[in-house]
Amino acid sequence: MTAMPKINRRSFILSTAAVGGGLALGLRLPFGPEVVLAQDGTPEINAWVVIRPDDTVVVRVARSEMGQGTITGLAQLVAEELECDWAKVTTEYPTPGQNVARKRVWGDFSTGGSRGIRTSHDYVRRGGAAARIMLTQAAADQWKVPAAECVAANSVITHKPSGRTVRYGQVAEAAAKVPAPDAKTLQLKDPKNWKIAGKPLKRFNTVDKVTGKQVYGFDFKLPGMLNAAIKESPVFGGKVKSFDAAKVSGMKGVRRVVQVGDTAVAVVADTWWQAKTALDALPIVFDEGPNAKVSSASIAEILKAGLDAEQAFVGNQNGDAKAAIAGAAKKIEAVYSYPYQNHVCMEPMNATARYTADKCEVWVPTQDGEASFAALLAASGLPADKCEVYKLDLGGGFGRRGAFQDYVTQAVQIAKQIPGTPVKLLWSREEDMRQGRFHPVMQCKLTGGFDAANNLTGLHMRLSGQSILAAVRPAIVEKQGGRDPLSFQGVADAGEHAIGYGFPNLLIDHAMRNTHVPPGFWRGVNINQNAIFIECFMDELAHAAGQDPVAFRRKFMEKYPRNLAVLNAVAEGIGWDKPAPRGQHRGIAQMKAFDSFVAAACEISVQGGNKVKVHRIVAATDCGYAVNPAQIERQVAGSFVYGLSALFMQECTVKDGRIEQENFHTYNSMRIAQMPKVETIILQPGGTVWGGIGEPTICVAAPAVLNAFFKATGRRIRSVPLKNHGIELV
Amino acid sequence: MADAVISVPATAKRGEVIEIKALVRHAMETGFRRTQLGELIPRDIIRQFTCTYNGVEVMRAEFHPAIAANPLFTFTTVATESGTIAFRWTGDKGLVVTESAAITVT
Amino acid sequence: MNARRRFLTAAGCFAAGAPLALLAREARATPAEMAEAIRQVTGGAPVRAGRVRLDLPPLIENGNSVPLSVAVESPMTPADHVRAIHVFTEKNPLPNVVSARLGPRAGRAMLATRVRIADTQTVTAIAELSDGTFWSGSMQVVVTLSACLEEGLI
Repeated sequence: MTAMPKINRRSFILSTAAVGGGLALGLRLPFGPEVVLAQDGTPEINAWVVIRPDDTVVVRVARSEMGQGTITGLAQLVAEELECDWAKVTTEYPTPGQNVARKRVWGDFSTGGSRGIRTSHDYVRRGGAAARIMLTQAAADQWKVPAAECVAANSVITHKPSGRTVRYGQVAEAAAKVPAPDAKTLQLKDPKNWKIAGKPLKRFNTVDKVTGKQVYGFDFKLPGMLNAAIKESPVFGGKVKSFDAAKVSGMKGVRRVVQVGDTAVAVVADTWWQAKTALDALPIVFDEGPNAKVSSASIAEILKAGLDAEQAFVGNQNGDAKAAIAGAAKKIEAVYSYPYQNHVCMEPMNATARYTADKCEVWVPTQDGEASFAALLAASGLPADKCEVYKLDLGGGFGRRGAFQDYVTQAVQIAKQIPGTPVKLLWSREEDMRQGRFHPVMQCKLTGGFDAANNLTGLHMRLSGQSILAAVRPAIVEKQGGRDPLSFQGVADAGEHAIGYGFPNLLIDHAMRNTHVPPGFWRGVNINQNAIFIECFMDELAHAAGQDPVAFRRKFMEKYPRNLAVLNAVAEGIGWDKPAPRGQHRGIAQMKAFDSFVAAACEISVQGGNKVKVHRIVAATDCGYAVNPAQIERQVAGSFVYGLSALFMQECTVKDGRIEQENFHTYNSMRIAQMPKVETIILQPGGTVWGGIGEPTICVAAPAVLNAFFKATGRRIRSVPLKNHGIELV
Repeated sequence: MADAVISVPATAKRGEVIEIKALVRHAMETGFRRTQLGELIPRDIIRQFTCTYNGVEVMRAEFHPAIAANPLFTFTTVATESGTIAFRWTGDKGLVVTESAAITVT
Repeated sequence: MNARRRFLTAAGCFAAGAPLALLAREARATPAEMAEAIRQVTGGAPVRAGRVRLDLPPLIENGNSVPLSVAVESPMTPADHVRAIHVFTEKNPLPNVVSARLGPRAGRAMLATRVRIADTQTVTAIAELSDGTFWSGSMQVVVTLSACLEEGLI
C-alpha cells in the first residue's frame, strides 16, 4: 500500500514520472491562496495529507522506511488524528527538493538515532488534526451549519442534529481552501483513546517484500542506463596514482573507465557484471600514504596506553572515585575491548544518477533524503532548483546510509563524466566491506573499590578509543573543548543516554585515540560497547561481593525507577528467583538509551565448554508510548539478530592499513536455527518524553549472554567477538 | 610549500569588468582541530590577500579560519590599462606567496 | 572578539596543566558574538536588509568546503560604490568569515569563495557603501547531520 508504483521484479523499467511518487513532478506551488496539487491533480489538504475523491488518504512521510516500520507508525499517528478509514491509507515520500522549495515544510528527513517517531510525532499528529478540522469546516460550510455540530469519524463527516453525512473525498477540494488552524492550538488525542495508533496493525510493505515485488535501489533500472563498479583506495586516505584503462577498454560491454574524485576508479559498462569483471582486471596503482603501516595490533597498543593516560575527557563524575578506590579494602579491575564492525546491510551501497548541465537527479536508498540532496548539490555544482533526489526503499540502513552519502557523491561524479546517460553505481560486497563506516574500536578499564563490608565505594570507567564525532562532526567536539559527548552513551550523567545507577563515587572518562579508519554510527552506536563494559563489570563486582547480580544492581537503582522497572520485568519474566531449566544458566543487563529503558535476561546452555545455545531471551522495553506494539516486538527480536551476530561472529581487523574482512565467509551472521525465543514486554508509562525503538534494545543481549556464559563455565570473557575465544553459537 | 593558480583574461577592452579567480594551496589550519591523540593543532592560516594593478591596490581581503582549505577567491576588477595584475597572500608563520599575470587592454 | 579571547584563555589554562575536565569551553560563536562582530564593523550604525545577495547551498553535507558568493547592487562609480563586503556566521567557532575592501575599480561588487560551515545556522553578509550606509543579506543553511545529533547533545 505504499505509493511506489506497481512494479514487479520482472518489469524493471520505470518511467521517471512514476518513481518517487507522482508528487515529485508536476507539483504546482501556489502563489497566494491557491491550493497545492499533487501530480494526479488531487489537492493537498496540507503538506501532510492528500485525500483523493475515492477517499484514499495519502500521508506524506519525510523519514525513510528501512524495515523498522516507521512509515506505518507515522501514518498511524496521522490517521489517528485525521479520523480516517485506515483501510484507505497509503503513504508517499515528498522529495528533498520540494522540502527545500517549500522552506522545509516537512522538517527533518533524517532517519537515525531512533528518532523517526519520537521527534516527529507531535507535528505529524498536528498535521492530521489540522486536516480533520479543515475537512469538517468544509462540510459545515457546505451545509451552512456550525462546525461544532459536526463530527468526523472513519473518513465520514456527520452533522449530528440532522444526520447528514459526506465523505472526506467529496469535500477534500473545498477543505484545501479552508484556512489552516494554528497548529499550536490544536488538541491532540490522549493516547489512551487511540484506535489506530497504539494498535499492532500490519505494515504496509510486508507483502511486497515477501513476494519480491519490493524495488530496492539494487533493483532499480532506467531506460538507457549504464552500470558502474567502483574501487576506492582500500587503505583509507590513499589516493589514485595511476590506472591503465587501455587494458580493459576492449572488454565486453565496457563503455568508460573513469577516475572518481581523488581516491577511486570506476568502470562503466552495459551490465554490472561486465563492469565488475573489467574492474577486477584493471591495473590500478594507489598512493597508499603513511596509513599503509597501520594494523589492528598497532591500534590496540595505542588504545592500551590510553587506559592509563593522564589526560582524558570526563563524561560523568561525582565524588572522588580515584580517592575512594585508592583507599579501598578490596579492588577489582578488568580490561574489556570492542572491535571495529561493519553494518553489513544486505543491500550493498548503490545510487543511480543522471547529470546534465540543466538537471541532476539521483535515485538512492537513503536514510536521509536531505543528506543525499546535499551531497548531490556539492558533487554536481548545480543550484538546488536544478537537482532532485528520489528515495528508494532500503535493504538495510543501520546507520550506514544516513550520515554517509559517499556512494551518492561517487554516482554523481561518474554521471557528470557521461552527461545525459543515467548510471547506476553498485558496490560489490567486497567494496562494501572495505569501505564501511565502522563501529569505533574501544578498550575499557574498569576499577571498583569495596570497603571491608563489601560495599562498593567507588567506580572508575576509563574508555580508550575512537571518537565518531571527531571524524564525522568535528564542530561538536570543538564546541566541547575536544570531548566527544557521544562516547558516553548509556553511561552519561544526564539526558537520553543517562547511566542507570547511582554510585557513591564515580568517574567515567575517555582517552580519545583516533585512527585513520573512518568511524560511523553502527546501530546503537556507543551503547553496544558501553553496555558490555558496565553490565559485565557489574556482574564481576557482584561476584566479588558475593551477591546476586540482580540484588547487587538494585542497591544502586533507588533513584532510577524506570531502569528498575525493566530490570525487574525481565528478572520476573525469566524466573530469576526460581531455578533455571536443567543445564541452563542466566544472565541479565539493563540500560537507558535513546530515551528508552531496556533490559534483557537470557537462558543459555554451553556444551563442551564452548558451544553456546541461547534458548530464550526475555526483553523489556519502556518507550513511553507504543505506536505499533507488533512492530516493537519485531524490532526487539531483530535487534538481537544484529547484536548477537556481532557478539559471536563479527569483527573487522586492520592489516596494512586496510580492512581484512571482505565477505560473509570471514564476517558471518547468525542463522534462523540459532535464533532464540524472544519474549517481549512493553511498558508504556506515558509522560512527556517518547523513547526510541530502532536502537536501544540491541545493547542488552550481548552483556546478558556474556554474564550467563560466566555462570555456565566460570570463564569471564572480556573481548568480543566470541569466535576469537573459540566459542561458537549453535 | 604553497602554490598559487590564477585565472585572469589575457586581453580585455578598456573599461570592461573582468573576473579574476585566485587559488592558493594552503591547509588553513583553524586552530580548533586536534591530533589523533587529542592535542590541539595550532592555527596556521592565510590572513590577507591583496591584488594590485600596475602597483595600485584594487582589492584587499581578510581571511579568517572559516575560509576553507586551499582558498579560492573570485572577484572583479575594471580593465583600465595594459600591465601587470599582481597577487600577494600573507599569513601565519611569516607566510608570503606572490603571483602575477600580464594583461593587454585595448 | 570575545570568542577569540576565550579561546586564548583556554589555551593558557592548558599550558598551566589545569585538568582538562574544566576546559570544556565552548569553541563556538553565538548570535550575540556575531552581533558584536558586526557592530565592530558598523560602529553601531543601522544595518538595512536589502541590496545584498548571499548565496550558499541550502543543504550542506559536511560543511568543510561550501561555495559562497555575495553580490551587491551598486553602480560602482566613484560617487556611489561598495567600500567593503563582510561575511559573518552565528555558530562557527568565530563569527568573522571574510572581509573584502572594494571600490570603484572593482567594477562589480561581488566576491565568491569557499567556506567552512560548522552547523545549521544563518550566514549574514554586510555591505558598507560609500555613503556610509550598511546593508545586509542573509541565508539560512542546514547541515544535514546536525539535525540528527544536536538535539541529544549539548
